[in-house]
Amino acid sequence: MSFARLGLWLLRRERASGEWRVLLLALIIGVGSVSTTGFLGDRLKRAMSEQGASFLGADLLVTSPRPIEDWPALAVTKSARPASPLARSQALEFPSMLAKGDAFQLATLRAVDASYPLRGSVRIADRPFAAGTARPAQPPPGMIYVAPDLLPLLSAKVGDRVQIGEARFTIAGIVAEEPGQLGGVFGLAPRVFMRAEEVAKTRVLQPGSRVTYLYQVAGDPAQLAAFGAALKPRLDSTQRLIGSREGVETLRGAFANADRYIQLTALISLLLSVAAIAIAAHRHALRHYDQAALLRCFGATTAQLRTLYAVQLLTLGLLGSLIGVAIGALMQQALALLVLPDAVTRLPSLGLAPVGAAVFSGLLALAGASLPALMRLVRVPPLRVLRRDLPPLPVAAWLSAAISGSALLLLITWYAGNARLIGVFVGALAGLVVVLALLARLALAAGRGVQKMSHGPVRFGLAQLLRHRFDSTLQLGAFTLALFLVALLALVRSDLIAGWRQQLPPDAPNYFLINIAPAQQQSVAAYLSQHHLKASALYPMVRGRLTTRNGAPIASTLPPDARDANSLRRELNLTWTAILPANNAILAGHWHGDRRVAEISVESGMAERLHLALGDQLGFQVGDQTLAARITSIRSVKWDSMQPNFFVIFAPGQLDALPASSIASLYVPPDAAGVLPSFIKMFPGITVLALDRLIANLEAVFAQIIGAIQLLLGFLLAAGMAVVIATLLASLDARQQEAVLLRTLGAQRVYLAKSLWSEFLALGLLAGLLASACAEIAMALIAQRLFELPLRLHPWLWLALPVAGALLVGMSGWLTTRHITRVPPMQSIRALN
Amino acid sequence: MTPPDSAQFPDTVVLARDLSQRVPTAGGMLDILSEVGLAVKAGETLAITGASGSGKSTLLGLLAGLDHPSAGEITLLGQRLDALDEDARARLRAGRIGFVFQSFQLLPALTALENVLLPLELAGRPDARERAAHWLDRVGLATRATHTPRQLSGGEQQRIAIARAFATDPEIVFADEPTGNLDADTGARIIELLFDLNASAHTTLILVTHDDALAARCQRRLHLVAGRAREEAVA
Repeated sequence: MSFARLGLWLLRRERASGEWRVLLLALIIGVGSVSTTGFLGDRLKRAMSEQGASFLGADLLVTSPRPIEDWPALAVTKSARPASPLARSQALEFPSMLAKGDAFQLATLRAVDASYPLRGSVRIADRPFAAGTARPAQPPPGMIYVAPDLLPLLSAKVGDRVQIGEARFTIAGIVAEEPGQLGGVFGLAPRVFMRAEEVAKTRVLQPGSRVTYLYQVAGDPAQLAAFGAALKPRLDSTQRLIGSREGVETLRGAFANADRYIQLTALISLLLSVAAIAIAAHRHALRHYDQAALLRCFGATTAQLRTLYAVQLLTLGLLGSLIGVAIGALMQQALALLVLPDAVTRLPSLGLAPVGAAVFSGLLALAGASLPALMRLVRVPPLRVLRRDLPPLPVAAWLSAAISGSALLLLITWYAGNARLIGVFVGALAGLVVVLALLARLALAAGRGVQKMSHGPVRFGLAQLLRHRFDSTLQLGAFTLALFLVALLALVRSDLIAGWRQQLPPDAPNYFLINIAPAQQQSVAAYLSQHHLKASALYPMVRGRLTTRNGAPIASTLPPDARDANSLRRELNLTWTAILPANNAILAGHWHGDRRVAEISVESGMAERLHLALGDQLGFQVGDQTLAARITSIRSVKWDSMQPNFFVIFAPGQLDALPASSIASLYVPPDAAGVLPSFIKMFPGITVLALDRLIANLEAVFAQIIGAIQLLLGFLLAAGMAVVIATLLASLDARQQEAVLLRTLGAQRVYLAKSLWSEFLALGLLAGLLASACAEIAMALIAQRLFELPLRLHPWLWLALPVAGALLVGMSGWLTTRHITRVPPMQSIRALN
Repeated sequence: MTPPDSAQFPDTVVLARDLSQRVPTAGGMLDILSEVGLAVKAGETLAITGASGSGKSTLLGLLAGLDHPSAGEITLLGQRLDALDEDARARLRAGRIGFVFQSFQLLPALTALENVLLPLELAGRPDARERAAHWLDRVGLATRATHTPRQLSGGEQQRIAIARAFATDPEIVFADEPTGNLDADTGARIIELLFDLNASAHTTLILVTHDDALAARCQRRLHLVAGRAREEAVA
C-alpha cells in the first residue's frame, strides 16, 4: 500500500476526530466567506465586460452640460466616401417631477430620438419585473416608459396618465432593462424615457436648468477613431468623451476598489479561521506523535510520513474548500438579492474562476496554519515508542514563522492588491490583535477579583479561564472581534441616519424648490406666504465652469494631484446675494455685502482643494460668456443645514445678464403637506425635492450595503465560534483529567456542568462587554470625526452583546465539552491511558 | 565484555560491540550504558533484565536501530547501523522487524484487524488482509476483528500487538516489557502466546523484562547493572 493510500485510509478512520472536524469546519467557514464575495464580484465584473458596447448604448458617448454645435463629423463627411458611416443619436437627460393626483416624485428623464440606443437594447415590459421585449427606447407620441420603482411611488400603473411640467403623458410600459444599468441600487430619481421633441411642451427646461446632453456615435472603428481624435481637442473639462471600452474600464475601476474592500472584509473571517485551524492542527499533531513514531518503527521514512500527512492535509483542504465554495455559491445569491435585487436575473451565471481562487485561498490558509505542526509530526524520533516523553525534533522557530507568515502575507497581498492597502490592512490587523490581546488580558485580570469572591463550581469554572490564560485570551480576542464588528455596523446603520435626522432643528427645511423661472419668482413667493410656509431666500442659480485663475488656465496652476478635483470637472452652481446666508461664516477677508463689484466669496474646502487665496482673480465660463471676479472672502458652510448652499457667491449685479433659475428651501409642517400637490399643479416646471424621501432613500441604500456586509460578518461570528471550539478541544484532555479527579473525589455531574457553564458564560459575557466598549468608542470616533454628530451612548448594546456572547460561547463551549461530565471516571481513565 | 566480531558469527542477526550511551543531564553527563557487547543468533531468545533505570529499554532501542549510541557499533541483519541514516534504518526495519510494547501502542482509530494489517500494508504484502485475519485468528481474537482498542481489555490489546508483530514474518521481534501493564494471569497467558508463536515462526526474540518468569523462558539472559552487561546462565 502506498503511503498516500495509507494516509487516506487513516484519514477515513479518523474522520470523526474532533480536530479534523474543527479544522474542516473552520476551513469551510473561511472559504465560504471569501468565495461568497469572490463569486458575486466575478459575476458583476463579467456582467460589465460582456456588456461591452451595449454598456454605453453606443461605441462612443459624449456628455456635455451644453449642446455641442461644432462637430468634427463634418470632416468625416468631407472624406472620399460621401455617406457618413457613423450613426448618431442624441438624447437629453434632466431631472423633473412626475405627478399623478396628489402623488409626485422626482425622476430622471431621458428624452431620446428614434435611433436610441445605437448598441445594446432597451427592454420594455407591460408590467413590473417582467422580462419584456427589446424595443427602441423612444415611446410613441404622448407616451413615456418608466422604471418599475416609479409606479408604487406614484400609485400608478401602466396606462395611467401622469403630469410632467405642463404636459400630460400616458405610461406605455416599464423599463425592464437599459444599457449601462446593472440594477436600481440608487433609486433616488427613477428613469423615465420620453420623446426628444416632446421636451419643449413640458416647459420644464429653463435657462440655467440642469441638463446633460448625450451624444452617441456608433460605426466603423477607423472612422470612430478619426472622429474621436478630431473631437477630443474641442472638448472642455466638463465634457466627456467615453469609448465603450473606457466606459466599462472606468466603471470597473471604481467597482474593483469597492470589491477589494468587501473582499478584505471576507478575508478577516478566513484569517480568523486560520487561527482555529492552527490550534486544531497543533492538537492533531500532538495526538499523533505516537502514531508517527509507530509508523517510523514499522519502517516508514520521513519522506513517506511527509507523503502520508500531506495527502491527508490536501484531502481535507480540498474537501473543506469545495464545501466552502458550495456554501459561498448559495450565499452569494443571497448577497446578490440583497445588493442588486432588480439585476440578479440579468447577471451572468456562476463562473469557475472564483472556485479556483477560493480553493487556492483555502489550501494556502490551511498550509500556513498547519504545516508547522505537521512538520514537527514527521520529525518524531522512532525511539518515542519506548520513551513517550521524547518530543519531536524541534522545527526552527524562524522556519515555522516564515511558512505561516508568508502564507498569510500571500493571502493578504492577493486580496488587497496594492502595497498601500496591504500595509493598511496588515497594520490595522496587527494593531487590532495587540489591542484585543491587551484588553482580553485586562478583562481576565479583572475576572480574578470576581473569581475570588465566588465559590463552589463557579469559582472552579472561573479558575479554568484564568489557568488557560493563553487560550482564554485567544478565545476572548476572537469573539470580541466578531461581536465588535457586527455591533459597529449595526450602530453605523442606525446612528448615522438617526443622528442626522435628530440634529436637524424641527423646523429645518424639508423640501427644496429647484428650477424656479425668473418670471415665477413673485408668484411662488406669494403662494408660499399665502399658505404660511416658511421658505429660505430665493437664490438665483447660474451654472458655470471655473476656467482660469489670475489669467492662467486653472489646471496649470495646480499641482498634479489637485488637477482632478471634482469642482473642475463639472459646472458649478453660481449665485449672488448681498446678505451672507445663515449657516455661513467668513473665515478670511470681508463679505462683499451690497457693493456691486466683481467680487466673489469662495467656500473654504474648495479654496483649499484648488489652492485658492484671497485676491485671486477667477474666470468662469457660463454658456458662451466669460466673467471674472476677485476672491474677497473665504467662507465656511454648514453643508448639512438643509439650506441652499453654494461654493461660489458673487456680489450683486454680476450675474444679472446671465440665464438663471432660482432655488429655495422650504419647511412644510406635516399637517400642511396637502399644499404641495396643488403647488406642483400650479408650478409644474418647478422641481420639488422631498428631503424626507431623499433621506429615506439614502437609508435604504445604506441598509442594503450594510446588510450585505453583515451577511459576511455572519461568517466572522462562525469563525469566532470555531476558534472557541478549537481552543477548547486543545484543552480537552487536561479538562477530562481534572473532571476524573473531581468525580473520583465525589463531585457530582451537576457540579462539573455548573463549572463548565460558568466558565463559558463568563467568557461570552466578557467578550460581549469588551465588544460593547470597543463599539461605543469606535462609533464615538466615527460620529465625531467623520460626521460631526453628537456623542451618544447605547445602553441596549451593553445588554445585547454580553447576552449574545454568553449564548454563543456558552452553546459552543458546552457542546464541545459536555461529554466529560457524562463519561464514567473509569472510562475516562482508560481513554486517557 | 569481549567485543564479538561479526565474521566469527555468520548466523548472527544482532551484533553489538562496545556500546555506550551517555546523555547530558543537569548534573553533568550520565552513563546509561557502558561498553556493552552482544551477539544474538537467528532463532535465539534473549531476555535483557535489570532493575529500573539500568538501561534495558535504552539497549533495546539501540539494537532495534531506533536510536544511535554515543559510542560502539551495532550490526543488525548484516547491516552496520552507524553507516545508515535514520531513513535507511527505517527501511531496514520495514517488514523484517516486529515490535511488542509495554503500552501496546495500537492506533485507537483502527480496528483490531486494521492494526494488524498496518505493517503488512506498509511492507506491501499482496495477501495483507488474509494474513492479518490469519494472525488475528492465531491469537484467538478473530471474533473481535472489528473492535477498536478502546473496546478491548489490556490482555486482548496485547494479543493484537503480538499478532501485529508476527504478521510480517519478521526475522527479529523486539519486545519491551510485554507483560508490564498486565496482571499476573493475563501476563502468563501472553508469555505463553509469545513463545508459542516465536517457536513456530522460528523468529529471533529479544525482550526486555524485569519479570523473572518471563526471563526464565528465554534461552539466554543478559543482566544489566548500572549500564554494564553480564550474561547470566538461565536457571
